[in-house]
Amino acid sequence: MKLSKILAMSWEGMSQRKFRTSLTTLGVVVGITAIISLASLGEGFRLEIRERMQTGFELENLTVIPGSFFAGLSKEGFIDKDVQSISNISGVKVATPLMQVGNVTLYNKNETVRAFVATAVNFTEFVKIFPDRFIFEDGKLPTEDRNDTIVIGYRVNHPTENETAPFAIANDNITLTSRVLQINPPNPPFYKQENHTFTVAGTLQKRGTPGITNFDYWVFIPLETARKIYNTQESQLIFVKVYDHEESERIADEIEGLFPPFSVTILVPLTFIKQVDHILTVVQIFLMAIASISLLVAGIGIMNIMTVSVMERTREIGILKAIGAKSRTVLAIFLAEATLIGITGGLIGVFTGYGLSHVLAYGLSGLVQTQQQDAGFQPPDAQRMSINPAFSPEWTIIAFVFAIIVCIIFGLYPARKAAKLDPVEALRYE
Amino acid sequence: MATILEVCEVRKNYHMGKVVVPALRGVSFDVEKGEFLAIFGPSGGGKSTLLHLMGCLDRPDKGKILIDGSNILKLSDDKLAELRLTKMGFVFQFFNLLPRLTSLRNVELPLTIAGLPEKETSKRANEMLKLVGLEGRMDHRPFELSGGEQQRVAMARALINDPKIVLADEPTGNLDTKTGWEIVELMKKLNKEKGQTFVVVTHDPHIAEAADRIIHLKDGLIEEIKKAPRRNKQ
Repeated sequence: MKLSKILAMSWEGMSQRKFRTSLTTLGVVVGITAIISLASLGEGFRLEIRERMQTGFELENLTVIPGSFFAGLSKEGFIDKDVQSISNISGVKVATPLMQVGNVTLYNKNETVRAFVATAVNFTEFVKIFPDRFIFEDGKLPTEDRNDTIVIGYRVNHPTENETAPFAIANDNITLTSRVLQINPPNPPFYKQENHTFTVAGTLQKRGTPGITNFDYWVFIPLETARKIYNTQESQLIFVKVYDHEESERIADEIEGLFPPFSVTILVPLTFIKQVDHILTVVQIFLMAIASISLLVAGIGIMNIMTVSVMERTREIGILKAIGAKSRTVLAIFLAEATLIGITGGLIGVFTGYGLSHVLAYGLSGLVQTQQQDAGFQPPDAQRMSINPAFSPEWTIIAFVFAIIVCIIFGLYPARKAAKLDPVEALRYE
Repeated sequence: MATILEVCEVRKNYHMGKVVVPALRGVSFDVEKGEFLAIFGPSGGGKSTLLHLMGCLDRPDKGKILIDGSNILKLSDDKLAELRLTKMGFVFQFFNLLPRLTSLRNVELPLTIAGLPEKETSKRANEMLKLVGLEGRMDHRPFELSGGEQQRVAMARALINDPKIVLADEPTGNLDTKTGWEIVELMKKLNKEKGQTFVVVTHDPHIAEAADRIIHLKDGLIEEIKKAPRRNKQ
């Protein structure tokens, strides 16, 4: 029997029972809708997160931290030799140490501000690591020939949003008060308070939180000066810039090799992004697995309906066999019915899936915005989360084919039942 | 005349749970080409079982059935289906038309199954429906037709593949006497004009007597085989 005739026959059989066929098809539609909308939303969500992370994380920048999660803080800090060794690794553009000093207070005439973190850096090298971050509101980057210059972050310079005048402008002379740990003091206090005068080289523009470090809350002083004040040669971090971020994992391995095992931790944005991406992929697959359950339920519906249909059409099957239809022709007629349900349900499901994902994306974007506003805390330049469903043709085709396969698999049992019917028995069936 | 179908020592049992019911207990006879044969007997005598075996719808437990020389016991299900498609035509008591198809579509069904192009199937179905006198009923569905008309459609369907043997199982059983006779007359006409072999199962002695030969079947055995005198419609 010709395929076109088999299909025509199945179609006729289905249109005889329009309501029932529609309900069966609806099951497939719901399943595919769920899969398509979750897949495209998940993909859109992942793309949005990835894009945010890629703009947020400076992918070429690695951060080397002493100590590790496994072995604790086994290393106190880094010395210049460590920085030099890292600089010598191929692919490394620049490596520079960073010394962090907590809790400093700045005085400018009658004004007082506190900085969360005072950071001692080699300005010339440091700016190579973060070229985009040093955008000055006032003044400019200090030159290395002076050891009493300071750069102030936006939030330190503007402690409250509505303040009109900044704390300091370029060339102001300000006093920095720091607490220096005493070595073996005879009795408390263990810290000695020291005042140092700095000249403001520049103040930074508002930058927000693009990555893990927020310069808005930082002040920068020359590394050599800090070393003298705090009487140490050790630095707590090494920033490394690589030429090609694709190489960052290899370079991180080499850096780790320079130190005893588990004595340093290296933050590699690429690894982090990859891990997040991986987690999101797993979540997405999980979501789709849940969505697939609905398709399986639809499959069972098909099996149920077709089994009933085979029973109802027993006599018809008997007639077909009596006048010479082979078992496989009968099988084909019923399988074609299941396939047609799969194709129809799949096609409709793909379109409703597209529709639903847009509706859901709109709803979710609104939800994310509301929560940000409610939270009270709003990062200065927080971009609104906007999830746009991303449709990949691959997923659409996979979902569509999956629908057909599920229908065929679940249609196979009733179709085989039909094909195996004994013609004499079938003709006798009332 | 050449033998077209041989039935040799055919036995068939039905199993109703643990009870074995013998339907045929060793039946042998030949069917000649172009013959109009009646299998006659009371119900439960094994007539329909015999017809099903002759029509390759079922296989005997024992014995041989040779159709055109080939033993159906040795053929696969697919081969049997092919045999039914190419060499057999069936007419049933309850017409057994597909309710959703028009007369034309019902008649062309065997050719459709055989995979013939639509142009040819509808041309031949047209001719067949004309032959059985239903040219005006081609686009009617079975429920729009009378019993006699439905049986004519079934007859047209049975003949469209130009079968060697037409097997009819109580073809008049569901019709009034007049219509029943018309069907018998039609079968006789086709038998004469087209030379096709007809085997008709019936419990109606009048119908049986219209045949060339009558096989009396009772309790699964042949009671007698006799040549019937030709009679005209009464």
